[in-house]
Amino acid sequence: MPATDLAPAPEAPRAPLTKKALTADHPTWCPGCGDFAVLASFYKVLEKLNYPQEKIVTFAGIGCSSRFPYFVNTHGGHYIHGRALPFAAGISLGRDDLHVFVFGGDGDGFSIGGNHLVHTARKNPRLTYVIMDNSVYGLTKKQTSPTSPLGFKSKTDPWGAFDQPINPMRTLINSGATFVARSHATQVNHMVEMMLRASQHDGFSVVEILSECVEFYPGAFDNSIPRKGGSFQTIELKKHDGTPEDEERHDPTDELAAFKLALEPWPARFGVYYENKARKTKNALEQDLIATTREKTKHATDLELLSKTFARMR
Amino acid sequence: MSASVRPKPYLEPQYCKGCLRCIEACPRDCITPGSAINPATGLVPVELHLENCNGCTLCLQACPEPYGLRLETDRAGLEGEFVLEDPAKLFGEKCVPNHSEGDLPDDRRALPDCEPLVLKGTYATAIGALLAGCRHVFGYPITPSTEGAELMARILPKLNGHFVHAVSEVAAVNMMYGAGGAGLPCMTFTSSPGFSLMLEGVSYMIGAEVPGVFVNMMRGGPGLGNIAPEQTDIKLACRGLGHGNTHAIVLTPSTPQEMLDLAIDAFALAFRYRNPVILLGDGYLGQMTGKVRLPASMIRPGLPAWAVWGDRAHRHNLISSIALAEADLEDHNEHLNRKYAAITACEQRVDCYRCRDAEVLVVACNTPARMAKGAVETARENGVKAGLFRPITLWPFPIDALAEIMPGVRRIVVVEAGPGQLEDELRLALSHANIAPPPIDHVRRCGGNLPAQDEILATLLAREEVLS
Repeated sequence: MPATDLAPAPEAPRAPLTKKALTADHPTWCPGCGDFAVLASFYKVLEKLNYPQEKIVTFAGIGCSSRFPYFVNTHGGHYIHGRALPFAAGISLGRDDLHVFVFGGDGDGFSIGGNHLVHTARKNPRLTYVIMDNSVYGLTKKQTSPTSPLGFKSKTDPWGAFDQPINPMRTLINSGATFVARSHATQVNHMVEMMLRASQHDGFSVVEILSECVEFYPGAFDNSIPRKGGSFQTIELKKHDGTPEDEERHDPTDELAAFKLALEPWPARFGVYYENKARKTKNALEQDLIATTREKTKHATDLELLSKTFARMR
Repeated sequence: MSASVRPKPYLEPQYCKGCLRCIEACPRDCITPGSAINPATGLVPVELHLENCNGCTLCLQACPEPYGLRLETDRAGLEGEFVLEDPAKLFGEKCVPNHSEGDLPDDRRALPDCEPLVLKGTYATAIGALLAGCRHVFGYPITPSTEGAELMARILPKLNGHFVHAVSEVAAVNMMYGAGGAGLPCMTFTSSPGFSLMLEGVSYMIGAEVPGVFVNMMRGGPGLGNIAPEQTDIKLACRGLGHGNTHAIVLTPSTPQEMLDLAIDAFALAFRYRNPVILLGDGYLGQMTGKVRLPASMIRPGLPAWAVWGDRAHRHNLISSIALAEADLEDHNEHLNRKYAAITACEQRVDCYRCRDAEVLVVACNTPARMAKGAVETARENGVKAGLFRPITLWPFPIDALAEIMPGVRRIVVVEAGPGQLEDELRLALSHANIAPPPIDHVRRCGGNLPAQDEILATLLAREEVLS
């Protein structure tokens, strides 16, 4: 259905979106959870974007981080473990006028939903996926997640994990996501910037945010928190100003350079790894296809088309 | 034997395919890749330079060709021109372990007496499975059944077993298909949403006749529901195991002790009928702690003749659920139907409490059966002749036992934590047995609430007052 049919009558200009309007239920996360900071930053991002409130969809699968939609006063959904992306892609393709945000954790995104992640990236629908990575299954009380490091002791790996962890940046770049960025829940400004850029990207954009689970994996990301003796290194992006320093900076359109960044040793760097503005979105490609076929049928009505088809079957 | 005396390797170039494995194995770099094509075979054999060789024979072990690299001492009698002959004629039959066609039987070992343990239900199931010989567990975390898998993760490596935290329930069930196909007792712990996800694999396992035990701690549904107990997978387990003509024995424990005992039985049944078995508990049962007595013996499982043995005698064993020709598939389904009929005839189990003279029969299973038992006792004290009929197998429904009791029964009360799936099973069983049921009342709760003893008692007494 074209979006214009559903658009309400023009109304008076409304007040800008505020955190007060966006806040819904009280978060159920444990005190000290990194996800609080992600939620606060998301409110800021929505304030900055200032989309009409009824045009925003916040969506999630299963996990601690997937409680997100309850806490944001927009359209929302809480869906099957790992299947949030196909559902969200359905919304995005069905209602092109909405802005779809999907939230999830590392288990949701890389374990049970890994298949969907790769294929959503391949299809490139217009939506933003925020992965709150804590490297552990928190909701079920400490099992190994696909991003848990080698040797991590959990209830399903009491002898220390020995399966190779997934490198999210490498996986995402490799699967063809058109915007890939990485941030940290202790760096609010950086997080806001990354989520803002991601939501303004036309296509499938992913932000991985390292968000500590204080209950089941405390100290997981200490070596990227300056306050705890780590170093938070950001990616300097090319400014194309011709200066010699610019040579050193990262070009996010360069897939190979992004891949090299992704291969840097833990905790690696934070910022925009990869951005591909050239690839058309699935939404646009579908519209193109519809336009082409409509042209071929000379914009015949549904009834005309159906009666023609039936006539042929007779 | 000193290095100078040990025999050195000798290469028959015609038998060497140049795979270079011997080069990797040689610690003294005595072997180099060849440079000339052998005219007899068209391949490039390696070259030996034995000046440094100490006769360690590692290259012989690495060589995949039975007659390629041999010891010099074996060379006698083979001098002269090479004639391509069957190596078996030259060197005798190749040594391959060969097993008999029959099953390798289970080995039962006595356990020492010990005090009863105090365990939660999921742990009791895990220990039962271990005693039944299960060493392969696949799972994905889901409340309220994860603890069983966690216990397995701790114990199994010590017992030469495997616990795999799979990528999803879909992966877990297919790992079970693989392990079960190899003839190994295997299991998973899951709960309702996870069980839904496994059904595709369950259908394939039933089709291919692969044993496996599924422990499903039912929780509230539909969809995401909640993590409190419900009995709303009864329809799924009894009537809806994936697509096609499927059935599996469904066991319903109601105490931690039964969780252990039925887990042991589940493996025996799974292998006896070459079919998955569902152990259907509810959320409270998984978390409930109780006194659990260990059995008198444990089992070291054998290997059934149909399984993957990895030897020549069994290489025709094919595990598959496909039969493209219509006639073949019909035959296969008739075979399955005969199996289902045998199960229905032989494996009905029930626990009857004060049923002999019962006029009001309470039907309940899992945790609600515990409240029902209390209600039955109180009802008896109040002069109502009540009895508890507690099915231990929901499929096959214990209709034979019920048919014996039915003549005296004036009224049935079905107690369940769900909207009537147990009652449907009961009505279906009565209908198939051509028994006209007396009035059937029910006490039903949903959403993770269980029927309370008072509620059940009120229903038991209510109509009695009206009738009397």
